[in-house]
Amino acid sequence: MRFFDASCRLGRPAAFGEGMPWQTDEILEIMARCHIDGALAYHIVAREGETQDGNELLLREIAQIPQLQPQWCALPATYDEFLHADALRDAMKENGVRTLRIAPKSFAHSARPYAMKELMGFAAECRVPVFFDYGEAPCDELYEICHDYPDVSFVITNTAYALNRWLGPVLDACGNLYLGTGNYVPHRGLETFCKYYAADRLVFNTNLPTGSATAAVSLVCFADISKEEKELIAHGNIERLLGEVRL
Amino acid sequence: MNWEQYIFEGKPFEGIYIFDVHGHVGAHKPFQLGGYDADSVAKTCRRMNVDGVVVSSLPALASDWKWGNEEVAASVDAYPGLIWGYASPNPFYEDCDITPYLDLPGFVGVKIHGDMQGSTPVNDPRYFPTYEVANERGLPVLFHAWLSAEVRAAADVARRYPNTKIILGHSGMTARDTALEVARTCDNIFIDTAISSTYDNAIEVLVDKVGADRVVYGSDICFFDCIHTMGKIALARISDTDKEKIFGLNARGLFSL
Amino acid sequence: MRFIDARCQLGRRCVIRENEPVTKAEILELMDRCRIERAVAYHAIAKEGDVKAGNMELLKDTEGDSRFLRQWVALPHTFGEFMSVEELLKGMKENSVSSIRMFPKTHGYSLKPYALGKFMDAMAEHKIPVFMTYNELASEDALYAMLTDYPKVNFIISDVSYREERKLFPILEHCPNFHIGTGNYVVHGGVKTMCEYFGAERMIFDTGLPTGSAAAAVSLICFAEISEEEKTLIASGNLERMLSEVEL
Repeated sequence: MRFFDASCRLGRPAAFGEGMPWQTDEILEIMARCHIDGALAYHIVAREGETQDGNELLLREIAQIPQLQPQWCALPATYDEFLHADALRDAMKENGVRTLRIAPKSFAHSARPYAMKELMGFAAECRVPVFFDYGEAPCDELYEICHDYPDVSFVITNTAYALNRWLGPVLDACGNLYLGTGNYVPHRGLETFCKYYAADRLVFNTNLPTGSATAAVSLVCFADISKEEKELIAHGNIERLLGEVRL
Repeated sequence: MNWEQYIFEGKPFEGIYIFDVHGHVGAHKPFQLGGYDADSVAKTCRRMNVDGVVVSSLPALASDWKWGNEEVAASVDAYPGLIWGYASPNPFYEDCDITPYLDLPGFVGVKIHGDMQGSTPVNDPRYFPTYEVANERGLPVLFHAWLSAEVRAAADVARRYPNTKIILGHSGMTARDTALEVARTCDNIFIDTAISSTYDNAIEVLVDKVGADRVVYGSDICFFDCIHTMGKIALARISDTDKEKIFGLNARGLFSL
Repeated sequence: MRFIDARCQLGRRCVIRENEPVTKAEILELMDRCRIERAVAYHAIAKEGDVKAGNMELLKDTEGDSRFLRQWVALPHTFGEFMSVEELLKGMKENSVSSIRMFPKTHGYSLKPYALGKFMDAMAEHKIPVFMTYNELASEDALYAMLTDYPKVNFIISDVSYREERKLFPILEHCPNFHIGTGNYVVHGGVKTMCEYFGAERMIFDTGLPTGSAAAAVSLICFAEISEEEKTLIASGNLERMLSEVEL
């Protein structure tokens, strides 16, 4: 089975545990070992500091690495801190960027329409999937963001295992929410999810380098679900989402 | 053994002894568990060719110690030889004596989660009667070990009761380096692998720092799933011998199985 | 005066303090001493451990015991974890359970209509009162949101203590479905003030046994500067009326 990682991170972290594989060639090595053919990658500088510069850094970093596709971090364009919709569309099209990542808590901005209407309007119009870590819009905020922008496909990553009582009602109410499987590890998590919600809302990802690719692939490979469901999760769903992008 | 082939074909490992030192039965109040009764745990173990799992009851740790330990006893009864039991004391109850559980067939150790029990340090004297029994019988004691203070308290217990075998749960988690340090200084301290999310190479670090003989497979099933941890060990860049030690041979010795 | 306690927990809990009552016999002894005729009771395991199992333990512990009025703890029905609303209502009817207690913070779920709309509609339709402690809500705004999201559900909110009046009075004004459990409502002259501004109908006697003090709770009512009629309403009348209206 082949995998496509919907979300991993490149770049030098400020702090990391001993042995953590953060360098690009280490990440590529683990991807190869884990049968991960390709990945969407964002840059830590874009995520942690300077968004536009970090996005540019990302492009330079992966220019000669066909397995890695760029994922840009995004902000509302207030004070021209980020690109407005038209410029963003052009830049994404020019650079082969098909997904965005937001971080409203970390970037200290509201996720409500009064603040993010332009950015999300663009994402909806161009069918650009938007990623964020669950911690950036947890609990009721997850519902709000999915409900406020029903035409945007959202993928939540870094979910851990304790969110199902919050997640379930949002999945029921909002068809535009997808779950990155990286560390979605409730006991029988994928089986239960597929039983109540269907495999086409699950998207394989690793959360590399802070997450484990070996764990992430094992989670899907060993899940007590059908081969067809595994294929959808491993690469099918993200390929479909990416194929729908219209820049 | 071609671990990769097993994983990518979705085929549970064969021909190796897998013993999970860190499991649970029972529900947990703050979030949904995808199947937490003995049947569910046994089903996962059988599917994944796990030879045995030692479980404590989440309600025994966080709710009614007696009801929870009964839950473990029932689980052990239902799946003898597959599900084994940790007995869990509660320091607030003077009448809490878990020796009757330890006397039951299938009970092989003690699990303590001081954080769930009013944030009580595990070297609180109210736990000492339990440790005395464990020491006398040479039993493993599994601690939840997430913070530096918890690791150091566990190490204190290890030193006071040298005939026990102390397992630091979750590899010490945020205090992993402290856990590895105390494991190096205390022969009766072992490290389990039960972490929901950690980076690749983390298993290699454990083996490098304390040796594969002191690392034991623990998954935290049913608190969360076990299959990702199995994959992490299987695909770690350590020898097959070390993997087999971690997966079960060490535990076989620890629990005298 | 008859007291009916709206909040009592049965069963062995995780943490106990020295001399705190633990067993049902100890709780009954205190109830007798404080002249509490009956108590609405839920099970500790349902709060702290396994909700479904705890609700079943409650049935066992209160079998044939008319001193306790059964209360189940509820969870959302998501991922098939808890009973569906239909199953819950059926179970309540079959087992003479007349009220629900919820722990949204402890058990980690949303109170919003997208999550609990169907559940709360059922509570409203069947006039089942829903009980919570104040600390299970994120804030007074969250309390207001819940009360206004489900205006036809009677909520009894306990363990309010003595520092919240400025936040709670506007809510009491706007939300007639908001009732306060009096257990540790120890505001100076608080019971009297509540009666003056909102009426005795808005208060429900409770103790929080075994961790709360029954003696303190009954004294709060007995010594309040209110009329005997008002005391009677608070001590038992309001709760009895509410429970008698339940339609299962």
